[in-house]
Amino acid sequence: MDLRMASAQQEQWGTKLGVILAVAGSAVGLGNFLRFPGQAAANGGGAFLIPYFAALLLLGIPIGWAEWAMGRYGGKKGLHSAPAIMGLMAKGAVGRYLGVIGVLIPLGVSFYYVFIEAWTFGYFLKYLAGGIGVDVSAPIADQAAAASTFYNTFTGNAGDGVLFSRDGMLTILSWAIVFAINIIFVYRGLSKGIEKFCSYAMPAMAILALIVLIRVLTLGTPDPNLPDQNVINGLGYMWNPDYSKLGSFQTWLAAAGQVFFTLSVGFGVIINYSSYLKRNDDVALSSLTASATNELFEVGFGGMITLTAAFVFLGLSGTAAAVATGSFSLGFATLPVVFAHMGALGNIVGAAWFFMLFLAAITSSLSMYQPAVALVKESLGWAHGKSTAAVAVLGTIGAFLTLWFTEGGSFWSTVDFWVGTLLIFVMAGVQIIYFGWVFGIERGWKELHAGASLQIPPVFKFVMKYVAPTYLIVVFAGFCAQNLGASVTASWATTGSRVGMITIGATLALLVLIVRAGEARWKRDGIDINDTQPAD
Amino acid sequence: MNAGGWITMLVSLAVVWGGTFWCFRRVLRTPQDEKAPPGLGP
Repeated sequence: MDLRMASAQQEQWGTKLGVILAVAGSAVGLGNFLRFPGQAAANGGGAFLIPYFAALLLLGIPIGWAEWAMGRYGGKKGLHSAPAIMGLMAKGAVGRYLGVIGVLIPLGVSFYYVFIEAWTFGYFLKYLAGGIGVDVSAPIADQAAAASTFYNTFTGNAGDGVLFSRDGMLTILSWAIVFAINIIFVYRGLSKGIEKFCSYAMPAMAILALIVLIRVLTLGTPDPNLPDQNVINGLGYMWNPDYSKLGSFQTWLAAAGQVFFTLSVGFGVIINYSSYLKRNDDVALSSLTASATNELFEVGFGGMITLTAAFVFLGLSGTAAAVATGSFSLGFATLPVVFAHMGALGNIVGAAWFFMLFLAAITSSLSMYQPAVALVKESLGWAHGKSTAAVAVLGTIGAFLTLWFTEGGSFWSTVDFWVGTLLIFVMAGVQIIYFGWVFGIERGWKELHAGASLQIPPVFKFVMKYVAPTYLIVVFAGFCAQNLGASVTASWATTGSRVGMITIGATLALLVLIVRAGEARWKRDGIDINDTQPAD
Repeated sequence: MNAGGWITMLVSLAVVWGGTFWCFRRVLRTPQDEKAPPGLGP
């Protein structure tokens, strides 16, 4: 049985809606609710949405289309891993080995993402049991200190290895539960596992987001002594436009970066997921629908909930200070203070909020293992269960390092910068350039429209070939100029960060060896890995 | 919240809610492919 036949009998999405919800679930994550509002407020408020939607149209959506089309094309040849598919696009080994990045990113990010996912689950359990111990009768500074202390203890921020003491038991337990859930659903496979989970989790997440949004928008003016701290002014903090910021390169860079990361393009997941589509399944409308769903959660919920709630209870200076401390501190140290001020409903709203974040996180993390499972299966010829077990072992090693080197998040912030940020730019650039210039934009356009339920305006052919790569290169150059120097220094500054760098190198080496074995196997099986004959 | 805030917020919400609704309506109106036969799962 050749690889194509074996593949066809092994995995396939059950429904069109299922794959859309799975991709949208992969894209919707903590950043939609925590990172987006902070970025918008710090970069011009409502004015930020101008460069944001420009980047969505010229960068995010076109690269997403290319990635969906490339993945489905790979699937037609029975190939599902990013290295194998990029080898087809590039017609050779260079693309195949660059495609390793498309497996390294989701696997490397999973090492720490499941840990952060465990925070959401642990906080959810704490709110079900009565909250995290913020006393509203105490001065506001003491409330913030109590929430921060809980956050630092729960995340092990204070020192390496502390999670393995008695204080870290809930964190370790939360991690073990969410990791097990992830592996069980990945083991169950695409249709029965990931698709089924997302088809329930995504609507549930939307309902929870709607409940929290309604509660926040009906807060009014909770403290009559502070009439300025009301919902309308809270919305104004997020949305009042400061057009002067549009003249700053930083604003355009932040908007493009936010769009880029929120859609999961260049992450290695879409190319893998879409390879399990049927030959003539639509990709044009499906890609657009998944992106639209992500934007609904980001702008429609994230842009309305987080900062509005913080402003109503903490005021202008308190909210500005919370935004300055970063996304995680905003979500896990500031919002608990807000929930404590919501009276009897506070714990229920807190539980709903953290369970919603948990669903956002798990629908993302589920997608992070699948690309590596696919690579192991088709490179080494292992069965699904054995491949899942191998990836679970790698995930456990990565997670153990994350759980040990927690001081200041040194391990995971190093992996996050190099793998979860910088390499995403590289992978997206490689994909859009190969798609437009090597596979060929005319052929790519035809492939994109095969079985399409949507005719994409022809101007996007120009956008995909010229605008998106140029836009991406400018944004990447700006990102490197702004971050690279400090990050290189920070990446070797502590034991945790050094271990992070070694882990990245070791994982990369292992994946290259697996691709090398796969290359030999595919050649032996007579697979057209350099795309000498078009799939159609 | 000033007038600019209201406008950007309402336009943005209309774009994301309207866009999502439009996409899902088109997806659901397109005939769904038949499901894979039972027994061929992973």
